[in-house]
Amino acid sequence: MTFDRISFMVVFLGVPLALFLVFVISPFLQALYYAMTDWTGFSPNFNFVGFDNYVKLAQDDIFRRSVFNSVLLAVVVPFATIVIALLFASLVTVAGGASGGIRGLKGSSFYRIVSFFPYTVPAIVIGIIWAQVYDPQAGLLNGILTAVGLERFKSFAWLGEVATAMPASMFVMVWALVGFYTVLFVAAIKGVPAEIYEAARLDGAGRIRTIWSVTLPLIRDNVQTAWIYLGIAALDAFVWMQALNPFGGPNNSTLVMPQELFNTAFGKGQFGYATAMGVVLAIVTLLFAAAVFLGFRLAGGRDSGSRL
Amino acid sequence: MRGSLAAAALLPLGGALASCASSGTGTSTGGGAATTAAGAANNPFGVASGSSVDAVIFNGGYGYDYVTFAADLMQKNQSGVTVKVTPSTQIAQQLQPRFVGGNPPDLVDNSGAGSIGFNTILDQLSPLDDVFAANNLEGTKIESTLYDGVREPGTYNGQFLAINYVLTLYGVWYSQSLFDANSWTPPKTWDEAKDLGAKAKAKGKYLFVWGKEAATYYQTLAVDSAIKEGGTDVRLAFENLDPKCWSQPQIQAVFAAMGECVKNGYFVPGGAGTQFTAAQAQWSNDQQALLYPSGSWIENEMKKATKADFKMTGVPEMVLSSSPKLPYESLRSASGEPFIVPKAGKNVAGGKELLRVMLSKDAATNFTKTKLAPTIVKGLVPADGFGSTALQSQAKMLDAAGKNVFDYKFVTRYGTNKDMLVVWNAFLSGQTDVAGLTSGLQQITDKVANDPAIQKEKVTK
Repeated sequence: MTFDRISFMVVFLGVPLALFLVFVISPFLQALYYAMTDWTGFSPNFNFVGFDNYVKLAQDDIFRRSVFNSVLLAVVVPFATIVIALLFASLVTVAGGASGGIRGLKGSSFYRIVSFFPYTVPAIVIGIIWAQVYDPQAGLLNGILTAVGLERFKSFAWLGEVATAMPASMFVMVWALVGFYTVLFVAAIKGVPAEIYEAARLDGAGRIRTIWSVTLPLIRDNVQTAWIYLGIAALDAFVWMQALNPFGGPNNSTLVMPQELFNTAFGKGQFGYATAMGVVLAIVTLLFAAAVFLGFRLAGGRDSGSRL
Repeated sequence: MRGSLAAAALLPLGGALASCASSGTGTSTGGGAATTAAGAANNPFGVASGSSVDAVIFNGGYGYDYVTFAADLMQKNQSGVTVKVTPSTQIAQQLQPRFVGGNPPDLVDNSGAGSIGFNTILDQLSPLDDVFAANNLEGTKIESTLYDGVREPGTYNGQFLAINYVLTLYGVWYSQSLFDANSWTPPKTWDEAKDLGAKAKAKGKYLFVWGKEAATYYQTLAVDSAIKEGGTDVRLAFENLDPKCWSQPQIQAVFAAMGECVKNGYFVPGGAGTQFTAAQAQWSNDQQALLYPSGSWIENEMKKATKADFKMTGVPEMVLSSSPKLPYESLRSASGEPFIVPKAGKNVAGGKELLRVMLSKDAATNFTKTKLAPTIVKGLVPADGFGSTALQSQAKMLDAAGKNVFDYKFVTRYGTNKDMLVVWNAFLSGQTDVAGLTSGLQQITDKVANDPAIQKEKVTK
């Protein structure tokens, strides 16, 4: 046990572990406790009420709606983002030509850089910009549509109509996140030996077939990681929804769990109840991660990397 | 070895227990710490020399420079005292840890969308009767210099806990120049409003406009109309969250009139997807809509987006019939911008002294001049309204109303605004009808009424 070894362990193991326990695990455990009280959040006095908060949650129709919205986001956004990112990544790396070396489309290096731009802009800025784009009277979208001649979009409230509010918000999220995952998948695809793609091409595989049968199985770990990250981001989605529709959208159709939590805690002064919502959110996230792992396990097993 | 490692890992955790979210110590030593010779004429609360005052002010439509003005005055009068004024746009979020930790500021302007719900901190606020009983800087008893009924909005369960500084009145606002050019007159009843809507439509304009975060301004208009028509009983039914309060005949008649306006296309379309200041600009700048119901902050809020020569003027809200219980001129006048002095602040006397300065002539006049809104201090609005037509019409409306002013608190007290916005956006965009609006709103107030965990206050007058 030299000084070197001990100091190494303290700095790289001890300190991070301590930080993790104090700032992540401890609040989590505290949340479990406060979720069983009626703490208002503003006074040091409160009572223990057991599972009353959870019972109240089950009967709260607005909270149920927010759970539905969050789950909907968790199902749609990762799927849409990964499909588009995979498509872009393939176009940019291996979908270049039917003859010659394996390469991407012409101008691929330019597309790679440009597709990453949205990810460099802070989420709240993107949300505010798109909220302006969707403005019924003065927004860019309606301006373009009416200029092309589609008169019915003259004052169409993209974020105000129940049918379009959620899809429009989802579009903004996907738009912003695709860039990062494109770059991630490009890196993953570059790790696949080019000979495999040449062999597939020689066997007559088209671009779509190549993506489905060659690329996907070979980068499945990256896709799984991306799916989980995207799912967690979608289950949060607080920044996006607050920027686009701070009050939950028409009929609460874009209200997500973190928004409801925030409003209950600070707007209504019900910290205990809001903490219970937080616990439910954590459970939903864990269930989601478990579901993704299970899905991927069923779709091909853990150890077998490629299935050529 | 492993043991020592484990021990080393556990050490910092000892301190973690102290990081519990609600350290219930809350030692309130703050309360009387800064009292010296209480009762001196120019220092009635006994602010200790050399102490500092910590004020956190909501930075919204009225900004916060008016408090800085008063702070400078106070620092001149009380030698050695420093006053620190901090703005905030999220009062609840920023001050929650301080309230729980037992070190809140000395003076807080608890206002805005992110304000702290009063029912959660009632027992942590100092009563402010002594501020009203003190003399202002000119030597007159403060309470005698104020408008009527300004104690009421800050009284909770019989205790006077918040001084609402700005006299806000609610009315319907329009452009005098536009109306003159078209020989229109502002409507006094809902029937007149519908007629005006038809006339506006003929000219390719709309009667009303709304934005998604401010859809409940129309609820304010509706409830105020119903109360003016039906009197105190209607108001009490709302305040006490009666199980049928939204089905009262007066409010139903107003809803029906609004529903007709929606059906006839008198509202600018797309409001449910428009941000509210953009929608207000459609009224004040583009003049697409004729009327806008709002509190009297509207002129200051839209100062930078109002057409030249708009001549913003306000009139009382519409009534239903020609013989309403409260006269047409009666107003919902609520003093707004509640200022509170937490009990556990380090310098409670300093907080109260700052309030005393704000309620004196110089600071109050400065507020009216720069924000074009009256404070609760009477008689400081000159005839020319500092060049503002809206301020002039506010003074006129207040004079005409006299003692016929009323207020209600049920929306802000129980924090139901956010839920009500959803229902109103649906109604104004034509997705639900009057029945849907009624049942939606009733559901929201019933939820609060039937929840035993939410403290309710019974209102009897």
